[in-house]
Amino acid sequence: SLLQAEPPQLSQPPLPAEGLQPSQHLRDPPGLPHPIVPLSRPVPPPGAAWQWGSAAHSWGLLRCWVGKWGDRRVHQFEKMSPALPSHLVPPLQDIRNTVGNIPMEWYQDFPHIGYNLDGKKIYKPIRNKDELDMFLEKMENPDYWRTVQDKMTGADIKLTDEQVDLVHRLQRGQFGDVHFDPYEPAVDFFTHEVMIHPVTNRPADKRSFIPSLIEKEKVSKLVHAIKMGWIKPRKPKDDTPTYYDLWAHEDPNSILGRHKMHVPAPKMKLPGHEESYNPPPEYLLSEEEKLAWEQQEPAERKLNFVPQQFRCLRAVPAYSRFIHERFERCLDLYLCPRQRKMRVNVDPEDLIPKLPKPRDLQPFPTTQALVYRGHTSLVRCLSISPSGQWLVSGSDDCTVRFWEVCTARCMKTLPVGGVVKSVAWNPNPTICLVAICVEQSVLLVNPCLGDKLLYGATDQVLESYVPPEEERVQPVQWVTATPEEHSKGIRLVVQHSKAVKQVTWHGKGDYFASVVADNSNMQVLIHQTSKRWSQNPFRKSKGLVQCVLFHPIRPYFFVATQRYVRVYNLLKQELTKKLMSNCKWVSSMAIHPGGDNIICGSYDSKLAWFDLDLSTRPYQLLRHHKKALRSVAFHKHYPLFASGSDDGTVIVCHGMVYNDLLQNPLLVPVKVLKGHAITLDLGVLDVLFHPTQPWVFSSGADGTIRLYT
Amino acid sequence: MAQLTARFRTENRRYAVEDVPFSVPAASETTDLSRLINKLLAAADADHKYVEFDFLINGQFLRMPLVTHMETENISTEEVVEIEYVEKYMAPQPEECIFHDDWISSVQATEEWILTGCYDQTARIWSLEGKSIMTVAGHTEVVKDVAWVKQDSLSCLLLSASMDQTILLWEWNVEKNKVKALHCCRGHAGSVDSVAVDCTGTKFCSGSWDKMLKIWSAVPTDEEDEMEEAANRPRKKQKTEQLGLTRTPLATLSGHTEAVSSVLWSDAEEICSASWDHTIKLWDAETGDLKSTLTGNKVFNSVSYSPLCRRLASGSTDRHIRLWDPRSKDGSLVLLSLTSHTGWVTSVKWSPTHEHQLISGSLDNIVKLWDTRSCKAPLYDLAAHEDKVLCVDWTEAGVRI
Repeated sequence: SLLQAEPPQLSQPPLPAEGLQPSQHLRDPPGLPHPIVPLSRPVPPPGAAWQWGSAAHSWGLLRCWVGKWGDRRVHQFEKMSPALPSHLVPPLQDIRNTVGNIPMEWYQDFPHIGYNLDGKKIYKPIRNKDELDMFLEKMENPDYWRTVQDKMTGADIKLTDEQVDLVHRLQRGQFGDVHFDPYEPAVDFFTHEVMIHPVTNRPADKRSFIPSLIEKEKVSKLVHAIKMGWIKPRKPKDDTPTYYDLWAHEDPNSILGRHKMHVPAPKMKLPGHEESYNPPPEYLLSEEEKLAWEQQEPAERKLNFVPQQFRCLRAVPAYSRFIHERFERCLDLYLCPRQRKMRVNVDPEDLIPKLPKPRDLQPFPTTQALVYRGHTSLVRCLSISPSGQWLVSGSDDCTVRFWEVCTARCMKTLPVGGVVKSVAWNPNPTICLVAICVEQSVLLVNPCLGDKLLYGATDQVLESYVPPEEERVQPVQWVTATPEEHSKGIRLVVQHSKAVKQVTWHGKGDYFASVVADNSNMQVLIHQTSKRWSQNPFRKSKGLVQCVLFHPIRPYFFVATQRYVRVYNLLKQELTKKLMSNCKWVSSMAIHPGGDNIICGSYDSKLAWFDLDLSTRPYQLLRHHKKALRSVAFHKHYPLFASGSDDGTVIVCHGMVYNDLLQNPLLVPVKVLKGHAITLDLGVLDVLFHPTQPWVFSSGADGTIRLYT
Repeated sequence: MAQLTARFRTENRRYAVEDVPFSVPAASETTDLSRLINKLLAAADADHKYVEFDFLINGQFLRMPLVTHMETENISTEEVVEIEYVEKYMAPQPEECIFHDDWISSVQATEEWILTGCYDQTARIWSLEGKSIMTVAGHTEVVKDVAWVKQDSLSCLLLSASMDQTILLWEWNVEKNKVKALHCCRGHAGSVDSVAVDCTGTKFCSGSWDKMLKIWSAVPTDEEDEMEEAANRPRKKQKTEQLGLTRTPLATLSGHTEAVSSVLWSDAEEICSASWDHTIKLWDAETGDLKSTLTGNKVFNSVSYSPLCRRLASGSTDRHIRLWDPRSKDGSLVLLSLTSHTGWVTSVKWSPTHEHQLISGSLDNIVKLWDTRSCKAPLYDLAAHEDKVLCVDWTEAGVRI
């Protein structure tokens, strides 16, 4: 019988279809003393918003539950809820539990289940029913389905018929009160219709039937204003409509934009023979062709249909691809490009500035003519005699060589015992003297080349020096060469405290300047050969000096630091100008023989041309070289300048300077001269122009000097 | 067109053929034509030996097939073509190689001897077989140019110009093989780059780096010319005494603005000088006047005059050899420009015997033999040198380093 027994919950009517089973629920611990526990979440009745009066009535019961959850003042509460039926209150003894809203499992292992109002333990009822007893009770007790266990006291409570009915009503979502009608007709206090009787019976005010003084005043003001003409009557509205002639200003003969831009719709291909219902046999596909057509991708097919032959036009069936084709046609029209591409019709030739052609700017060096071989290491510096017959070169192989220009013959080799950083031939044609930078000293060498009278005279000038009476403090030491050195040509040695990196002569040939690789104010020194006297022109160091230059005509002195070129007036002893080079690191500098233009080469492969009259910024920045510039040079007579770079090329440019101050210099690159092999990432180290001919010399890291003519 | 009618003509009586028009294949080249002529000659003369010929049409050498040549020269192929033929000038071979231990700056050859100037400050005399006969040492600097003045069986006079600003006139006793400095010609203020002796052998002219031309007497005398500043330079005087008597110039021609690179006598009265100032100037040797100026656009290295064709040839610092007519007064007319060198043309020389031939040496290490009748390409390249060619002279291609 146990096995046959159905679950009691299901067997018991009346149970809601989807609702919670009351016996189960009542056995679960919701923590409520009241038997009607499952209403943990009171659902507001429908229509509560507008029927608060009756809602208050039905809410009375619910509120008392909430109040029960919120605090435990049960007595008060019970008194407040007259709606509670009196039979729900335990009649004899109040065994209400005072433990509060705690999980009742905590009392699982105790014999009691809590404490009553008097502080006495409430003992659990003796329950020793086993499963069989429970089953028997379920089978035999007809009120089993309406028996619930009070969790707080552990006692079984049998629900009355009213309570069961209430549970059912609430489960169905109905109001607890049977007599409450949620759908009562509403009665308005006021009606929207106009009634014959007023709402109030109050007599009208006096002011409602005597004329208003304020209004009279306002009206008289308005009347006065109208009389005075301050207020004018409204203008009658002109109701003739206004139109704008959009096309009034249009030239009737002009082609309108939309017509100009007219793009005709793509035309459909006209049907051909293959589309005929009875095409000639050569248009019909053979079996293989048909197979091939089927295997092709639809996009790749030459025809998008298979030509078919019909006996007569009547036999032609409806065209199955009609919709498809119409759709594709629509796509064609829709995707057809409607915008004509506007191309800017500019001749690229027009964008190039008008420069004369290089061959109109002849003469300039074009081909390599001679190679001066002999140095075994990189040739750092070059200089040429004022007559243009001799060339001097200094190299890292610790020698200085003198060459005959026209035959590339090495006339003399002078070992100097150190890397030669710079050489400079005295520009005065009556003095035959070469200044050579070797480590910490500047050697003044008489090469004994050319006119005997000249170099004899030079020696005489040097020997005729008479030392002054009192010793003067000098930043350097002037030492006369030993006889051994004298036989080699060395006449004077100017010993500096640090390594010398550049030497340059003044145009008159008496003064020369040397640059010392130092960071102090002793970087630049100016020496006078005839008096053997040196001075330090600068009190302060303004940065690492790269190179210095004398102005060819005026008493100016140019000092190039890494970023700037400063121009000093030697007579007034002041800074005249400061040129911003716009380069990162100036490597070399050359001055136009006219003296108003300077070019600066920099290690960031730029060449800056300064016009001293124009601005302190470069007039032009030429970026022809691919690598760092090592040297720049101007020609003495021809409008040429050249730059040598680490990329192994010499670029010769035409740089015409006009006497007319209004005309800017004309700079045209005319020739790229190649020839030097790149050694140790170094290409051309120095460039130099011949003093009279349009020839350029370049010395390279490959140990050669090349002459381009 | 397969055939052309041609008529052959020659100046040389020995190889004359009948003056009849021949029909020759249009595509025939010089070898074919040469074979044809030889066949004709062999038919006329049984013991004729095969001779290679060269052919000229309207004064131009035939260097390609006949028909293409006529097309390029715009000669009608309808008419009878007159073809001149000459014996082919065979390629010269270097016969002798004379080794110096330094650069040779100049060379001048005669029938018996060769005179060379050298960068080791000496001049040398060589026999034609290449034997060194004499070393003339006396200069204190590089010898830039040398020239023969007079040649006898007993003694010869020769000149050497040097970078030490002097020209020395030497007498060479052939029998005793002794050389003696007769005169030291001083007056130049730069290295003397070029000397030239006039045809009578009594005067010579020198061109120097100091832009001057000076004319000197080449006749040895015993008296010393007065030197203006002799007292100031005792040391120089010592040297002078060693090297012979001082001589001062007869005349000084100034007018060049740059160094004079080459001088020559075009005839007894006329001096021609080439300079770095891009001009060739013609001077009257008697009065010292400038007669005319030919202006080029490059530095002239060398100039040569041929009395046979009366033209000047110049070598300059570009790749071209230019031919000038010195008689033209406007002075800027280049008759012809011969281009084949790849370096500076350092030296040109006309053939003393042949009207059309000249030789040129260049810094591209090649000596070229030219014929003015074929201006497109040289006749022969003489590529025997291993370094720069500085000077050339005829009689033997005696140029070397």
